[in-house]
Amino acid sequence: MPIPRITGIASALVLTIGLAAGCGSGDAEPGAGAGDTRVFAADNGQITIPVAPKRVVATGYAVPALLEADAPLVGISSWQRGLPMMTAEDRAKYDELNKVAGESAAETNYEAIAQAEPDLIVIGVPKPVLADIDLKRLEAVAPVVAIGPSLPSAWRDLSRKQADAAGALATFDANRDAYQAKTKELATKYASVLPGLKLAHLGAYGEVANGNFQREFNGSWGTNIAQDLGANYYGQVKVKGGGSKDVSEYPSIEELPAAFAEADAITYSVAADGSVPKPVQYVLDSPLWKELPAVKAGKVFALRYTEAATYRSAMTTADAIDRAFAPLLAP
Amino acid sequence: MTAVQAAPARSRSGARGVWLLLALAVLAAVAVLSLAVGAHTIAPAGVLRAVFEPTGSSDDLVVRDIRAPRALLAAAAGAALGVAGVLVQVLSRNPLAEPGILGVSTGAGFAITIGSALGATTAATGQLVLAVVGSVLAMALVYAVGHRSPLRLVLAGVALSSVLSGVSLGLRLLLPEVFDEYRFWVVGSLAGREQAPTLLPLLAIAAALLGALLLSRQLNAVALGEAVAHTLGVNVAGVRAGALVLITVLAGAATAVAGPILFVGLIVPHLARRVAGGSVPWLVAFAAVLGPVLLLVSDMGARVLLPVGEVPVAIVTAFLGGPVLIWAVRRYGAAPL
Repeated sequence: MPIPRITGIASALVLTIGLAAGCGSGDAEPGAGAGDTRVFAADNGQITIPVAPKRVVATGYAVPALLEADAPLVGISSWQRGLPMMTAEDRAKYDELNKVAGESAAETNYEAIAQAEPDLIVIGVPKPVLADIDLKRLEAVAPVVAIGPSLPSAWRDLSRKQADAAGALATFDANRDAYQAKTKELATKYASVLPGLKLAHLGAYGEVANGNFQREFNGSWGTNIAQDLGANYYGQVKVKGGGSKDVSEYPSIEELPAAFAEADAITYSVAADGSVPKPVQYVLDSPLWKELPAVKAGKVFALRYTEAATYRSAMTTADAIDRAFAPLLAP
Repeated sequence: MTAVQAAPARSRSGARGVWLLLALAVLAAVAVLSLAVGAHTIAPAGVLRAVFEPTGSSDDLVVRDIRAPRALLAAAAGAALGVAGVLVQVLSRNPLAEPGILGVSTGAGFAITIGSALGATTAATGQLVLAVVGSVLAMALVYAVGHRSPLRLVLAGVALSSVLSGVSLGLRLLLPEVFDEYRFWVVGSLAGREQAPTLLPLLAIAAALLGALLLSRQLNAVALGEAVAHTLGVNVAGVRAGALVLITVLAGAATAVAGPILFVGLIVPHLARRVAGGSVPWLVAFAAVLGPVLLLVSDMGARVLLPVGEVPVAIVTAFLGGPVLIWAVRRYGAAPL
């Protein structure tokens, strides 16, 4: 049966408006009604979501991002790794909120999510981990947008996208501006020393087994915030493995002298309480470490809070890096 | 008549002696080669300098502080698993048996899982102690249940392994952080062990290897069957208990220092049997030499297979073990145990 011409034109107009909304900045339109929707590009496809969601469930990396952005959260997954970097205010919100999932995607409590009656679910897990989540079941509850991490340094864009989906860009952008102001100030403070240094970083994440060490380059978890202060971590991975393996690798301990030989200074990741993680301690105890030029010169700095994946937590990291690098400014 | 029979026996012994010397020469060559092979390239002259005229350079440190202890560990673990494999196969009269079949590795793994849950594995010493305790308790339980016959012993080992594996798996699913600790231990590796306190396990392995050689003549009689062994005046129950203690020490200590390394205890006895025949003392002697050769070669492969980092040696032995297992199954019954 032929579609009447007027209906076809009306459908095309609706579709065009919908696509325009989805392809735009994603900013919630002022005065948008409770029932208004837009199309949002996520890891799981083009998803129709409310323009101004009122009840949001967040999991994974979306938890700290949406807590800081003051999104209207009604349920979150557990996010233990971010607790040491949370402000007292965010921590209080975190403690109060209903926990609808554990630390891993496999621990998602579908009934608890349904009971929270969300109008949007924001999942912040890497794409491969999405397979552990029954998306169909969640989609029966509310629209689901999956926005997971890729490169470690991409948290800046990903957390903004998560805040955008949750209609919480105003607070998010304020936090971002505060972070950028702080790092700009610190970059000025260290302008005379950091840009001239060849840095290397010893990490503590991922597949660190005995006999290996994690070397992180520019753009990795241990390095990306220090870069905002002007630090430059020389070199690159031998083989790009996708995601974080594009910016970090796990060579044999035998390669430690070659890996760090050119470094003027070395930074290494420690836990939030300052304790040295087991894989890092293994390297620090190695006789090869003690022979490195940077170690002999005393140019070794422990960095805390290198797990930061949001602007407010990254400010804590920036402060910690400032304290760690302070000896560089000593006359 | 006696002189006529003694001549071929002496000749066979002589041939085995020559083969053993040859195997020892191969072991020495492989051990030296293992000092030169690794992720960090060092020229042969640099290796020699590191051994004989060290100057404290990074090459010297790699050779002396990383590769040499690692080679010693590979040799000890290889000998321990190889000889434990011989003892298990002779005791169970099963050519497909290996130390893991008696629950030693699973017992160690279960103890590591429990220890991880209780936070007792943060130090290398904690892991070592837990692995040894787990191995000993598992073997004691298997012995208590199945000491009456070799078949019951194997069945008890398999049953206990299944139960402990199931409980371990359940715990790891419930406690993800335990899984994180366990997943690095469960794939046996010789990398990064140079800082671990391995002197005591190495001494235990040395003592148990000596014990295996001393017990091998009685095991020779037990291998002929209980009735024959009794006729020859051998205390079968005592020999069996002694062999189980040796298996526990050898496999438990090897698992403690390197984690579970499967197939070495299966492959080595079959390789040794090619030259040692059915003689248990010769089998033990050859296994004590061929085990280190196999593990040193596998470990060299583990160091260079990947462009960055290393493969755990247990993965290399598993790749080698598959074809050998098929070969062993195909020739089952072709040679006496």
